[in-house]
Amino acid sequence: MAAPNTLILATVDHLARFAPFDSMEREHLIWLAERLKLTYYAKGETVLGPDSGPVKTFYIIKQGVIHGEQDVVRAQEDASWLELHEGECFPLGALLSKRGVASTYRAGHDTFCFELAAADFRELLKASDAFNDFCTRRIANLLEQSKQVLQAQYAKSSSDQQSMSSTLETLIRREPVTCAPETSLREVLETMHKLGIGSMVAVDENRKPVGIFTLHDVLNRVALAEVGLDVPFASVMSPNPRTLPPHALAHDAALVMAKQGFRHILVEEDGQLKGLISEKDLFSLQRVGLRQISGAIRNAEQLDTLIHSAKDIRQLAHNMLAQGVAAEQLTQIISTLNDLLTTRILELELRNDPAAKALEFCWLALGSEGRLEQTLNTDQDNGIIFAAQEGGDPEAMRAVLLPFAKRVNLALAECGFPLCNGEVMASNPKWCLSLREWKRTFADWIDHGDPMALLYSTIFFDFRPLHGADHLAFDLREWLRGAAKENSRFLHQMAANALRNHPPTGSVWDFFTGKGNILDLKLSGITPFVDAARIFSLAVGGKQTNTLQRLREITGPLRIDPQDAEAWADAFLFIQLLRMQLHHDQCERDEPLTNQVDPDSFNNLDKRILKEAFRQARKLQTKLTLDYQL
Amino acid sequence: MNWLARLFGAKPELTPEQAARLAAWQALPAPDLNDPHTASRYVVVDVETSGLNLVKDRLIAIGAVAVSAGSIHLIDSMEIILQQDRISTRDNILIHGIGGTAQAEGVPPVEALLTFLEYLGKSPLVAFHVAFDKTMIDRALKTFLGLKVNHPWVDLAYLAPALYPDLARSHRSLDQWMGHFGISNYARHSALADALSTAELMLSLRDRMSAKHIENFKMMRDLEKAQRMVNWTG
Repeated sequence: MAAPNTLILATVDHLARFAPFDSMEREHLIWLAERLKLTYYAKGETVLGPDSGPVKTFYIIKQGVIHGEQDVVRAQEDASWLELHEGECFPLGALLSKRGVASTYRAGHDTFCFELAAADFRELLKASDAFNDFCTRRIANLLEQSKQVLQAQYAKSSSDQQSMSSTLETLIRREPVTCAPETSLREVLETMHKLGIGSMVAVDENRKPVGIFTLHDVLNRVALAEVGLDVPFASVMSPNPRTLPPHALAHDAALVMAKQGFRHILVEEDGQLKGLISEKDLFSLQRVGLRQISGAIRNAEQLDTLIHSAKDIRQLAHNMLAQGVAAEQLTQIISTLNDLLTTRILELELRNDPAAKALEFCWLALGSEGRLEQTLNTDQDNGIIFAAQEGGDPEAMRAVLLPFAKRVNLALAECGFPLCNGEVMASNPKWCLSLREWKRTFADWIDHGDPMALLYSTIFFDFRPLHGADHLAFDLREWLRGAAKENSRFLHQMAANALRNHPPTGSVWDFFTGKGNILDLKLSGITPFVDAARIFSLAVGGKQTNTLQRLREITGPLRIDPQDAEAWADAFLFIQLLRMQLHHDQCERDEPLTNQVDPDSFNNLDKRILKEAFRQARKLQTKLTLDYQL
Repeated sequence: MNWLARLFGAKPELTPEQAARLAAWQALPAPDLNDPHTASRYVVVDVETSGLNLVKDRLIAIGAVAVSAGSIHLIDSMEIILQQDRISTRDNILIHGIGGTAQAEGVPPVEALLTFLEYLGKSPLVAFHVAFDKTMIDRALKTFLGLKVNHPWVDLAYLAPALYPDLARSHRSLDQWMGHFGISNYARHSALADALSTAELMLSLRDRMSAKHIENFKMMRDLEKAQRMVNWTG
């Protein structure tokens, strides 16, 4: 081939200003430039979309801006969540996994793109190590791509991807409309009507928010309450509105909204109002909103409503999975809603059971629910801790609580949380205990360390109060923090037990998967992380029950390299995400939910990351081996 | 070749091999100018010369970029420097940056022009201010190959204002249009870089062209003619 002309050389020089081209060999860049096609996209024109089918082209932006938009969001203004500039490439994930894209890529300005055919892209991957590295190696990179692949699978139901992990300050749409608390209600309503806004914030002379009023409040506080319109605004507003700092995440706001039933969160910085986030801002396009579900649960008067809400929770989980909400936030949201649901069942059952209502007790969440790691496939793990009255007989209290617990267990089962095969439920007399009895039971396990005790401790030591007299649970936790830490023999036994579970090894894709070609994502993937985190947490006297929180909690005391802890957390979350994805697919196909998957069904990208994740699991286990000399 | 021969238009001497190549080019079928853009290859050219005098100055370099089905395939580009028996002036060199040595070491004109024709095929030509590029190229072809061509050209200097009448008064030069569309240039006044910028300008006009149903080369040329009338009368 003739020597490259100045156009090819100039293109090489241009590309070499950007990663990964800056680290590629010149001959590879020339090879690349000679295969590039330069195409123009007018502002607003679609470059690539979910309808385009498997991606045939690798794009490098020569000049201009490309916006990646989730499909449903397209109708909304300014809904782009990804902005790509000169020198950036797309869509790596879809190309590597040979799939279509989830997002619509659209020119933000008049844009010129260099385009490379997919076959040439793959050639270049083979030829250039630097390019290959950039595209496939770094785990963070990989996870990002995998997320895109995941989103691609749910393109049909996807929504605004960025919302959950973006900070509130980026979500504030406009300067909030405010008034002084003494303004008349009439004036406020007129302003709201004129500006077409749904809420008004009252601020004091220092711009500190002192109250909020929404259109929703007109009904019960003004119209039904027959309040005259000349009253001051302060008399109808909700005082002391809940605020969050600008750097809080959308996810935090969503949780507050769900927990407290608010529609709006004020953003405050240095005591001054910065903006207003409405639930709409967070879930504008979701059919089932977080707050609608939580509101429905909170106001449910009968089980039928709650059964419906339980379905909505699953639907929401699917939607959020499709949006690419991170596994940590997703499981937290599922757990929060399931907590609300359980709480409401407890409240409803207590109404009809004055005897149980009169007792001081706390409903405990155990196992994955206790760890706030519920997926779509979670059966019940719960217990009751009660305060034994002075000189009172625990049996008498149990006699009251057990029938109550039975009804709750059955109601939960109707809502789609299957009864626990191992009878780890509050209606089991063994797990409906007074504080003193719990301590004795735990002490027994810690002292004996027989196989059953070790198994139980993996479920029960992850307990967390869900409803009722939570001080009992905190008391038990404080006691356990001391007791477990002091018994090194017990921790040693727990570690030995945990190590019986081997994460798959494999220099290639030769998973050690027991029988057939089946991989159990929970047992081989999740459990090693959960078990190790629990042991280390108990060893340092930690009080967290969530695996990620535990990993963060032990980093300091055990002098773990923060980068290692971060890699463990990423690996854990990735497997968790694959698990939820599996459950989602099973749901769609109306199959029973399992954790078992044929590893060959993963695409190459996910296989690589999964292998890396298992490597991290083995690393964590190695630390157990060393720390407990096993 | 002496100056008299050049003056009287005597047939220049080609080797049999060169004559065969020229004949092969001449035998190529002419393109259908009604073919839609998506099925056409246009060659966008820019030339560098020893000066701006259409009569006296000589062709020094040709840069060309093809636009095929609406995209620029980078590899389908060429630039060629014609060997000069006289080096252009210092001021001129400062414009295009083709120094004395490069001019003297260029490709012998016959060979250079044959290479250009073989690259061009019969694809229609596009330029900004066609009159200049066309005159220079036509004269070189006549002088060195004895070839009289009647090749189709279209001029973006008329097409762009026809499509953007509101900009017609304020935008006259290639630089102004490049500025409007945010088109960069890796080496202004290098024939190939300018050809690329011109090609990018052509791509940028696509939206307005489809809005006005300018779907093939013939329609572009009709629009150009109409715009010449506007300029004449307006």
